[in-house]
Amino acid sequence: MTRSRVVVTGLGIVSSLALDREGTWSAMLAGRDGLDRLTRLHLPAEPAQIAGQVALEPTRHQTLCDRMALRALDEALDGLRPEGDPARIGVFQGAGTSGLPIAEAYLEDRLAGRRGQATGPAYQSPCTVTDALADRLGATGPRGTIMNACSSSLLALGQAWERLAAGELDLALAGGAESLCRTTYAGFSSLKAVDARKCRPFSRDRAGLNLGEGAVQILLEPLERARARGATIYAEVLGYGASMDAHHPTAPHPEGEGAARALAMALRVGGLEPSGVDLVSAHGTATPANDGAECRAIRRALGAAAEAVSVTSTKSQFGHTLGAAGAFGAGTAILALRDQVVSPTLRLDDPDPACDLDCTPLSAKERRIRAALVNAFAFGGNNVSLLLARWEGS
Amino acid sequence: MSPERTDLVITGLGLVLPCGDGLGPARASLASGQPCFADLPETLGLGRGAACTAFNPTGIIPPMQLRRLDRASRFAWVAAHQAFLDAGLDPKSDTLGAGERIAVAVGTLTGGSEASEAFMRPYLQRGPEGASPMVFPNCVANAASGHLALAFGLKGPSATFVDRENAAFTALEQAGRWLHAGLADAALVLGTDGLFPLLLDICRGARLLSRHGDPVPGSNQGFLPGEGAQAFLLETRSSAEARGAHPRATLRGLACRSTPGPGEAERAGALAQAALTLGDRVVARRIGGSNGLRRLDALESQLAKAHPQWPAAVHPKALWGEFGGSGGQLLAAALLEPAEQVLVSAPASSGAQFAALLEGVRLDRP
Repeated sequence: MTRSRVVVTGLGIVSSLALDREGTWSAMLAGRDGLDRLTRLHLPAEPAQIAGQVALEPTRHQTLCDRMALRALDEALDGLRPEGDPARIGVFQGAGTSGLPIAEAYLEDRLAGRRGQATGPAYQSPCTVTDALADRLGATGPRGTIMNACSSSLLALGQAWERLAAGELDLALAGGAESLCRTTYAGFSSLKAVDARKCRPFSRDRAGLNLGEGAVQILLEPLERARARGATIYAEVLGYGASMDAHHPTAPHPEGEGAARALAMALRVGGLEPSGVDLVSAHGTATPANDGAECRAIRRALGAAAEAVSVTSTKSQFGHTLGAAGAFGAGTAILALRDQVVSPTLRLDDPDPACDLDCTPLSAKERRIRAALVNAFAFGGNNVSLLLARWEGS
Repeated sequence: MSPERTDLVITGLGLVLPCGDGLGPARASLASGQPCFADLPETLGLGRGAACTAFNPTGIIPPMQLRRLDRASRFAWVAAHQAFLDAGLDPKSDTLGAGERIAVAVGTLTGGSEASEAFMRPYLQRGPEGASPMVFPNCVANAASGHLALAFGLKGPSATFVDRENAAFTALEQAGRWLHAGLADAALVLGTDGLFPLLLDICRGARLLSRHGDPVPGSNQGFLPGEGAQAFLLETRSSAEARGAHPRATLRGLACRSTPGPGEAERAGALAQAALTLGDRVVARRIGGSNGLRRLDALESQLAKAHPQWPAAVHPKALWGEFGGSGGQLLAAALLEPAEQVLVSAPASSGAQFAALLEGVRLDRP
């Protein structure tokens, strides 16, 4: 089966570092993080009080997720008004908490004997983000809302690539949005997976993650269509891989067996040898179990080529944005491919010997980046890897 | 999925429904047309609904695991167990790479929500001391697929979709895509939903529930909630034939059309277009997604008016309730009576409207 080449022609980022793409990227390269004292939620009894928070608030008719996602979409569009058959425009979103804060507020009202605002099912369902984005785009093609926990939005990107590569769509929007909420905050805290300090991926003394929020939206098109309209091309999507661990409900396979299969599948689907990969945007949660297993997975999948790759974790700058994490990894990898520079893993001044790859400690690193793998791993043993390539105009 | 890429077959079916577990009770329920609604036990919520009161996982889910599972995951586990048995496939055998070539795609509206309520209720009342690390992992919608992966050794691609009434159709579409792309040889497709008190409370507060008896499709009076799981083992025909499996049906087509905004006419048009995409075929049976709620009834009604030659639709949601598998119950109903062509229309209160065409449905296999 012949496949169309698929390229990235739009990218919008709303993060705790900045409300736009270039502001976020320049702050990342400068080694700043978006982690700060938690103010979005009032949880004084929680031992951890650090989070990545976006300087936006929900409105009466928009959840914070919707608002961030739409803002990121507007930036990704960059003035583009999609033309052609709207049925050939698709929207694929990875959702995390979405309307959960509304459900929490409703439950709190009911527990207090109040009536509660049951405006509800509409705003609480995660697919409202997808519908809102599709409405803004005027898209009447396929829509999908994936809830694969932390791998959600990376799989959404994979879905978009599949449809475009198969020639079924002319344009697709994919990404994810996540806002802080009490359920996830309390949940990860109850699992003792949260670091009370700022998180430190791949470090010997890593103790857990920080939670974050934000949105990344990515516009994808077939290469020929992008060329025909003279679009800016950021990068090419070569394919993706997905797998399950079948190992544990929350912990990754200690040897990264399932993750390695996802990485290998992405390379196979994308038709690239391991030696062609220069960057791995890691899941890199900074939990004791994840980082070592991920490094072993990278070694299993890339073999000797692993010695030469740069690895980085955006979690050290944004925290873990859960359902949006994969889109954050992909969005920043796209910018790394464009600018040929790897963003740093902050606070990595004492690397764990179990994470014995070049994890780009402390400061950004200029280097040749031909292709990048982006990882997102999730509860339930879900693994997704996306393969991106530098666009060099050929 | 385009109509010409339709060499996909359903080789296994597993059902957990309010009428009972397995194909026998489902067939009897559909044939009788008797709704399964009753007053709900307080643990599930106040009011009426179609609960899986006869559900019995004994001998299928080990007791240790049973305690850890949310309701939707329990249903999914048992339905998946039935589907693998029905398909004659041991997922842990070497036939399909010891699970590495089996994908999982789940559609749900409520998956994770029951656990979220169970987690947050004590947290809001007592603070961090009330938060249970045992409950939290089930708060994610893909908890069910994770449990299935562990239970059956499934290691292929996995995705969970949350798209209100027809998420199972999105799951079916994705599963077919993985099979066509050669990323898996078989895919376990599931719709699964469980009842829980906050769901009933919210639906009642939003005035979605029928307040005058059981739901009647086309009445615009509201729906009643239901629960359950439906599992379908989907394979390429060549893969099924290679292992000697006898399909229950061929998935001849699956189409989705969406529309900007919540306009009823536009949504009806999208549903009609989805059905039209499947071709102008002679429809022997029709399964509809009408549930008694105005916004879904209207879409089905307009589809029926546009095709007066079609037989009257059977509406399983009038028997088994809404969300009880997020569309999976419609697909299940389509597989419960023999027919050459069965059209399933799946209207939704979100933007995406689905239609599916099953061919060569047969009940008894050698």
